[in-house]
Amino acid sequence: MRILVVDDDALAGEMTAAVLEGLGHEPLLAENGVEAMEKLAAETAIEMVISDLNMPLVSGIDLFREMRAQGINLPFILLTGDDPEGPRQQEPKLDACLLKDFSLEESLPEIIAEVLARHDG
Amino acid sequence: MNDRPSSVRNKIAQLRATFVEQLPGRLSDARCHFDAAKANPNDREAAASLHRFLHSIKGTGNSFGFKDLGAAAAQGEHLAGKLLENPVSVTPEFWLDLNECLSNMALCIEVLQDFGAAPSQGDRTATFEMPLDAGAVQEESNDKLIYVCEDESLQAEHLGEQLRCFGYQAVLFNNTEDFRRAVLEEQPAAAIMDIMFPEGDSAGANVLIDLRNNHGKLFPTVFISGRRDFNARLRAIRAGGEAYFPKPVKAMDLVVTLDLLTRQSEPEPFRVLVVDDEPEIAQYHSLILENAGMATQVVHDPECVLDVVGEFRPDLVLMDMYMPKCSGREAAKLIRQIPDFVGLPIVFLSSETDTKKQFSAMTVGAEGFLTKPIQPEDLVTEVALRAERMRTLRALMARDSLTGLFNHTTTTQLLENSLTAARRQDGQLSFAMIDLDRFKAVNDTYGHPTGDQVLLALARVLQQRLRNSDLVGRYGGEEFAVILNDASLEKAKQIMEHLREDFSKVVFNVGDAKFSCTFSCGVASFPHAGDAENIREAADKALYQAKHAGRNRVVAYE
Repeated sequence: MRILVVDDDALAGEMTAAVLEGLGHEPLLAENGVEAMEKLAAETAIEMVISDLNMPLVSGIDLFREMRAQGINLPFILLTGDDPEGPRQQEPKLDACLLKDFSLEESLPEIIAEVLARHDG
Repeated sequence: MNDRPSSVRNKIAQLRATFVEQLPGRLSDARCHFDAAKANPNDREAAASLHRFLHSIKGTGNSFGFKDLGAAAAQGEHLAGKLLENPVSVTPEFWLDLNECLSNMALCIEVLQDFGAAPSQGDRTATFEMPLDAGAVQEESNDKLIYVCEDESLQAEHLGEQLRCFGYQAVLFNNTEDFRRAVLEEQPAAAIMDIMFPEGDSAGANVLIDLRNNHGKLFPTVFISGRRDFNARLRAIRAGGEAYFPKPVKAMDLVVTLDLLTRQSEPEPFRVLVVDDEPEIAQYHSLILENAGMATQVVHDPECVLDVVGEFRPDLVLMDMYMPKCSGREAAKLIRQIPDFVGLPIVFLSSETDTKKQFSAMTVGAEGFLTKPIQPEDLVTEVALRAERMRTLRALMARDSLTGLFNHTTTTQLLENSLTAARRQDGQLSFAMIDLDRFKAVNDTYGHPTGDQVLLALARVLQQRLRNSDLVGRYGGEEFAVILNDASLEKAKQIMEHLREDFSKVVFNVGDAKFSCTFSCGVASFPHAGDAENIREAADKALYQAKHAGRNRVVAYE
């Protein structure tokens, strides 16, 4: 599955991408919300977006809202370095919000499967 | 789809390494923002840059599993957030706090660079899997319980893994509260404790002070810390720390310290040999030392010194300088001629006050020179100090540096001691010699680091599966020896058969390749074979037979 990874920290983005690759997915990287919207417009095969929350200019939540406003209904997983409860309350429509830590390798596959199941159902 | 998990792990390892590599540069940029913001708290751009930096390090640091660094950055992020919100409100203390956060981060970065950011399993390093179904040969093996409290989970796991190889049962905690609760439930034989935790800069020391003062829980503790400064060490000592290791910690050093700290029985009394031609003086000195809890033996005739040294195995010799038949100098020289006693401390006792003559005594390798008459408490202090140092040195010298097992010399010595005990108690004893099969091929095919992994794995199997009373040594390159106290030839053969089977099930992974190793073993027993040399030769012959019969088998010398 082609997944767009949005993170302003290139290393953090690569890290997420590496985990996704390990799961057999094909990650695509964007460094900010603007680039993400461009990639979404240009590439039709993207099936999911995984974005960092805290980015300069456009935050992960802004990106999510912009996507929905433009009618892009792809599953959206938000990553954050803080307590994920905050963004969850701020934007209840998010498919999932995850804490960025070293357990990402284990937690991400589960969440992706869960989100996909919900979207397909 | 075409990426294997191992290549992903490799990639993550590379990303971690890159991240750590970039940290010092990024931190120095942050320092510039800090200085700019401090000079002008209304410099929004500097404050925002600093905040973004701290936030990013927190997130990415945690993503890579660097919790200490993440925690320090989180604290800084919180402070920088305040600065962004309300630049007018900041006080001089604020800058001190923020500065400390950056300093803590610098320390964490230093540790990460020392420790190496790569996770423990690289692609080329051999790892091994132990078969889970292989139970202990002896159920009674009761490993000493060690609590490891360290919030950097990767480091803790690495340490725990190593300690387990050396026969310690390591239980890991990543925060002080869990540790506290566990101690109240079951007290460990010793603890290994980090100092700095997210819950406080000296949370590690504080929890121990609390356990001691409020719950009467006292156990030996070794502190490990990324901090090398005096204050951190001082706090550790005040909390009752027995030892302090700056990170990165070498597992071998830690094991030697733990061995000393967790000796189950009371430490054996120091053994002192008193050599003096005047019986009254010898008795007098020996009495003083025995009153201080030491074991002594007295020799009046220097001719007997060598025999007694061999039998009594003293930690130290207290020798009179002037004796009729041969002088103390000569007696010391005699002792030193025997390789086993080269390191034995000899302290001269004499009324000689001429420093020139004292100096000449030192040239034959005397540890010290005491002048008669000596105050009893001075004698005790001088002797205890040197005997203690000798013991520590011996513990370090007694072990093989790769496997942590007893080395050749020590193993030989232990065999002799065990034989003496068996003879005295009319008991039995078995001795097994082990040699890895086709070990050279392993080194040639996979390289020496992999060969070392095989040696470590065998050492681990032997230690884990044997009884506490059994002694395991590395006899030479790929040769190991086991002393099975109080075991008949039949019983010993049976035990070694189990071990042989267990070890042959260990799977070694190098890159994509997998292989297994086997060993051959020869067993001999007392009283069947008489002295140490005898029993060793017999075991060696049996080992030779095992090799010639096709390897991977245990042969008993009948």
